[in-house]
Amino acid sequence: MNWMQRQRLLGYVFIAPNLIGMTIFMLIPALFSFYLMFTDWVFANGQPPQFIGFGNFKRMIEDDLFAVSVRNTLLILIPVPISIMLGFLIAVMLNNRVYFQKTLRAFFFAPYFTSGIAIAFVWMVLFQPSSGPINAFLGSIGIADPPKWFASPDTAMYAVLIMMTAGGIGYNMIIYLAALQEISSEQLEAAKIDGATFGQLLRLIILPLVSPTTFFLMITGFIGSIKGFGMIYAITQGGPANSTTVFSIFAYKKAFNFYEMGYASAVSWTMFLLILGITLIQWAGQKKWVHY
Amino acid sequence: MMNVTSSRIVKERLGKGLSTVFMVLASLLLLSPMLWMISTSFKKAKDVFTYPIQWIPSDPVLSNHIKVWTAGDGFAMFYFNSLKISLILMIGAPLLAAIAAYGFSRIEFKGRNVIFVLYLCLMMIPQQVLFVPKFIMFEWMHIYNTHWALILPGLFTVFGVFMFRQFFMSIPHEISEAAFIDGAGHFRIFCRLFLPLSKPVLATFAIIDFTWTWNDYENALIFLLDKKLYTVPLGMQNFMLEAGVDYNMMMAAATASVVPLLIVFFFGQKYIIQSFSSSAVKG
Repeated sequence: MNWMQRQRLLGYVFIAPNLIGMTIFMLIPALFSFYLMFTDWVFANGQPPQFIGFGNFKRMIEDDLFAVSVRNTLLILIPVPISIMLGFLIAVMLNNRVYFQKTLRAFFFAPYFTSGIAIAFVWMVLFQPSSGPINAFLGSIGIADPPKWFASPDTAMYAVLIMMTAGGIGYNMIIYLAALQEISSEQLEAAKIDGATFGQLLRLIILPLVSPTTFFLMITGFIGSIKGFGMIYAITQGGPANSTTVFSIFAYKKAFNFYEMGYASAVSWTMFLLILGITLIQWAGQKKWVHY
Repeated sequence: MMNVTSSRIVKERLGKGLSTVFMVLASLLLLSPMLWMISTSFKKAKDVFTYPIQWIPSDPVLSNHIKVWTAGDGFAMFYFNSLKISLILMIGAPLLAAIAAYGFSRIEFKGRNVIFVLYLCLMMIPQQVLFVPKFIMFEWMHIYNTHWALILPGLFTVFGVFMFRQFFMSIPHEISEAAFIDGAGHFRIFCRLFLPLSKPVLATFAIIDFTWTWNDYENALIFLLDKKLYTVPLGMQNFMLEAGVDYNMMMAAATASVVPLLIVFFFGQKYIIQSFSSSAVKG
């Protein structure tokens, strides 16, 4: 074997560490979980997994939590377009219509960058029903009976949606700002000379030009939203009365509160199918509005 | 003529000034949860919910912060655990990703593309699908309830391999070919040429990886049991449950856990914003 051939074989050496890691921590778990979804297996009771075909899925469709999770998982999609829209408007404003552009960009991006469990707990206290700042404000503008937010099954999901919307704006803004800076100023100047108003510029030139970015943000935003777990679970554990149980919390509870590993696997793969389905629908719909 | 243009400039400046003021107010609204957190962490219990909100505490105290760090709840220990894991991963993960990315982008070998497509597929599978099998496998591997359960899987990222592969493909082939003809092997080219060239990507990925690990709640929740192993997000949840209605203490703990992110954001802003924007625009 000559030197050149040996160098080519080095390719395997280069990817080996990563490939081994991926196999152990992703590929094997994925296959294992794929098998588990067709079994009945309660971990820790000493029995081996029992193959039951699609039994878990039949059970899931009849599960009350399934309907709740589907509803909440669809609700949790709402913040995505809202925060995309707000992020876009902010980016348009920051893109050469303000002073201190860089400082403002950092101000808007920081809340996204730091969001996590700590900020979730801040929201929990802000939404404190009896005397928290949000209800104190609502009281001061004359709302006599403000919502109980996280404390009531009727309103907990609204609090989650508000928290999610606020958290996503900074990211969408930064992505749009980058896209806006790629638009040539000549094109905009030309339209202005032709007498286009700012609204027309926005609707007829800027929006179509950034439509691939919007598409990207919709796809990744929906995926991220459906997968979201930590910030909701840390505050509510899916409650009160399961009112904030989304798919990821549904799967988590079955696995780690009840150790029903087969059933939990079926639930988590259903979540994957949901993500895949929503992504494919968007993919199919892109021809209508995305201009490359 | 002179007057017309100058009055237009004044008008433009006025408009720009007004929109600046408006945007500053809007950004403060978005920042307000974090500002409230910081200000409340310096308040006495009785001042937490006074309305109108005291953005600057009338009677500021340091005792909440001191208590968070010194009380028996082990917040200092959670911090140490998080720092340890984050630092190991922010050095290890970029290096391992860069090595693999070199193989995927610069060496042609049999099966390369098949493996890469497999990576693409793996990237689509949500973490939640893997939690159950990983939990079981980690028990078998005896790494459940150890920091290895967070470190080992964290070292291998598909995202990192993609990011470095993208960058390596933008390095002209002539550069490495010239070195190759001079008899330098792939290891030499990688260490002497590619690693130094990819400093900005290494920095960017290290920053992103640090924030991921620092904020990682789910893995810690599932794979750690002993309180002395807790990382900051999990430790904080524990702290919140124990703090009950001591909201000022809670906010001191929350502030402590956000500070490293703010420091990273402040110093790494250039890299962070660049990397976020470029990843999306290039699709």
